Amino acid sequence: MAETPALSVRDLVVREGERVLLSLPALDLAPGTTLGIRGPSGAGKSTLLFALAGLDARATGQVLWGGLDLLALRGGGRAAFRARRMGIVFQDFLLFDELDALGNASVSTLYRTRGDRAPLKARAGALLERLGVPDGRRAVPTLSGGERQRVAVARALAHGPDILLADEPTANLHREAAEALAGDLLAAAAGPGKVLVAVSHDEALLARMDRVIALKDGTLADA
Amino acid sequence: MRDLWDGLPAGVQDVAVLALLLLPLLVTGLVVTRGFAPWPLARAILWRFRWPVLIFALLIAVAVGTGIGLIAQERALRQGTAAAADPFDLVIGAPGSEITLLLAAVFLQPSDVSLLDGAAYEAIAQARGVAFAAPLAFGDSVDGAPVVGTTAEFVTHLSGGALAEGRIWAEHGEAVVGAGLGLPLGAGIEPAHGTGPSAESDAHAGEHFTVTGRLPPTGTPWDRAVLVPVETVWEVHGLAAGHAPERAEQVGPPFDAAYFPGTPAVVVRPESLAAAYALRSQFNGEPGTMAFFPGAVLSQFYGIMGDVRAAMSLMALVSQGLVAVSVLLGLFILSRLTRRQMALLRALGAPARFVLAVVWCHGTALLAAGTVLGVALGWGAAAVLSRIIGARTEILLHTSLGWTEVHLAAAFLSLASLAALLPAAAALRAPVIEGLRA
Ligand SMILES: Nc1ncnc2c1ncn2[C@@H]1O[C@H](COP(=O)(O)OP(=O)(O)OP(=O)(O)O)[C@@H](O)[C@H]1O
Ligand SMILES: [Mg+2]
Repeated sequence: MAETPALSVRDLVVREGERVLLSLPALDLAPGTTLGIRGPSGAGKSTLLFALAGLDARATGQVLWGGLDLLALRGGGRAAFRARRMGIVFQDFLLFDELDALGNASVSTLYRTRGDRAPLKARAGALLERLGVPDGRRAVPTLSGGERQRVAVARALAHGPDILLADEPTANLHREAAEALAGDLLAAAAGPGKVLVAVSHDEALLARMDRVIALKDGTLADA
Repeated sequence: MRDLWDGLPAGVQDVAVLALLLLPLLVTGLVVTRGFAPWPLARAILWRFRWPVLIFALLIAVAVGTGIGLIAQERALRQGTAAAADPFDLVIGAPGSEITLLLAAVFLQPSDVSLLDGAAYEAIAQARGVAFAAPLAFGDSVDGAPVVGTTAEFVTHLSGGALAEGRIWAEHGEAVVGAGLGLPLGAGIEPAHGTGPSAESDAHAGEHFTVTGRLPPTGTPWDRAVLVPVETVWEVHGLAAGHAPERAEQVGPPFDAAYFPGTPAVVVRPESLAAAYALRSQFNGEPGTMAFFPGAVLSQFYGIMGDVRAAMSLMALVSQGLVAVSVLLGLFILSRLTRRQMALLRALGAPARFVLAVVWCHGTALLAAGTVLGVALGWGAAAVLSRIIGARTEILLHTSLGWTEVHLAAAFLSLASLAALLPAAAALRAPVIEGLRA
């Protein structure tokens, strides 16, 4: 008997009024694999990632993570699932400008149970250091684009999620920095049963993924 | 239950009411934030949007301060005027307006009042239960300070038993001055006829007083008065001096009815409370006189003011409604400023209650700051007003923060903190993706 796929998408449709932003009849991903998504601007890559995270209230169909249909859950259940299992790197970083680097990387300590807070904070600090933002007290507005990117990655990894969703994670980095960050992401997703889904234009990153799909006008195109 | 409550000391009751008023706030805070640490983020958001936050807090402070200030000021005025009227047990004058006579006799406001003649005065002075009956005579001034003619008994009574320095007059031409006048003992005074800017300074040319004593501070307009024997005032105006010519040098009672020129007011010190009531009804019953307790007239006056306030409370309600609406509106605007942050929290998987907690905390912190500032502002404004009123009238006003104001502020804060849940709930209903793309 085949193993339950880590991710199984069925009839996923996102509509904005009459317009179909995304239509994905089927997509399966085995545990322990990485998926790259490419496509021109406006193809619906971010829309797909949001739907996979259960963030798009307009999405219909099924998004099964290990057999659990995220879209069948209510908002609270989806949030709990994200907090526990998912790490998301948003396009344009989406950091809290009012918090410092470490505050951003460890922001989830504010709403996690008391016992989880200290280890998570320590992990976030270590991640920042490894990713190249050693001073956690720096204010977000003083960080370069690349540094913000790394803080965003540290925030996504701090709680040790088994599902990593990344939207253009290397877009603001130089060649070597991009390679290093790609390596860190892949390493974080390397454990058994872990999954990485990364949207990217970065051919070097895409080349290191197990599988790559292409989106065009909201549907699958030839990769 | 009722008996138990009534049996508690007032202070305990006040604290209990305060706790009860703050209970909704505390319960909401506890329920919303339990198990979370929303403060670091709420504080960071407040700091980031400090200018709009500050302006909004100031608006709340002004709204709260106005209410607090009015209440504190009114109480100070009530207490100050009541204290000023305290030495005036019973005032008797010619029939007319009690308020006018009260303003003239107690607060030394220039006014036209009819006079009591010598026979009326004698009837008062010889009535049963009168410890002393002091005529008052007004109409002159010294550099704007009113000159009041009266008797040594009343000066002793007003001073509470002893002068601050010097002695009471012994003869015509001697004066006792109020504590607020900077005239040293032995100084000479030239009185002018009338009061205020129209006083005719040379009308009494040749008259001259010498200061022999000074009153202790009384916190009343009498602190700025020059007190002289009532006979001196009469004499200055070319009237009979209250005594038969063979006793022309006498100062103080008894007076001769035939040589008594008239007095606008007689302050009566009754021997007992029962005597006070008996005297009041006796002289209210006679056609030529009117008698009243200044304290009672004042509280009647404030009673009328209270009715006016009640009539105005509809307006107050409308304005309070406006304040409530603007508070709510302000909270909504502030929560719009943090739309992206809240969407981000939800995208990261923060529980809805945590997002609620962050919005509620920064809203309530702002409300609390505004309210505390408002209480301070209201108290400060009342204190400044009291000083101004005090400087103008010499009535000593003590502005204090009463429990009424504290309770009012607590009730406002509690209600407003409940209202702060509305924008917090709205932040939860907004679509996450729109917030992230905003
Ligand atoms: N809230 C929205 N309402 C209407 N249209 C939207 C909305 N959000 C996105 N779109 C549209 O959906 C399409 C897909 O957008 P999406 O952000 O997924 O593109 P993308 O592939 O991530 O592009 P890029 O590479 O520029 O990030 C675009 O045409 C965009 O204009
Ligand atoms: Mg995109």
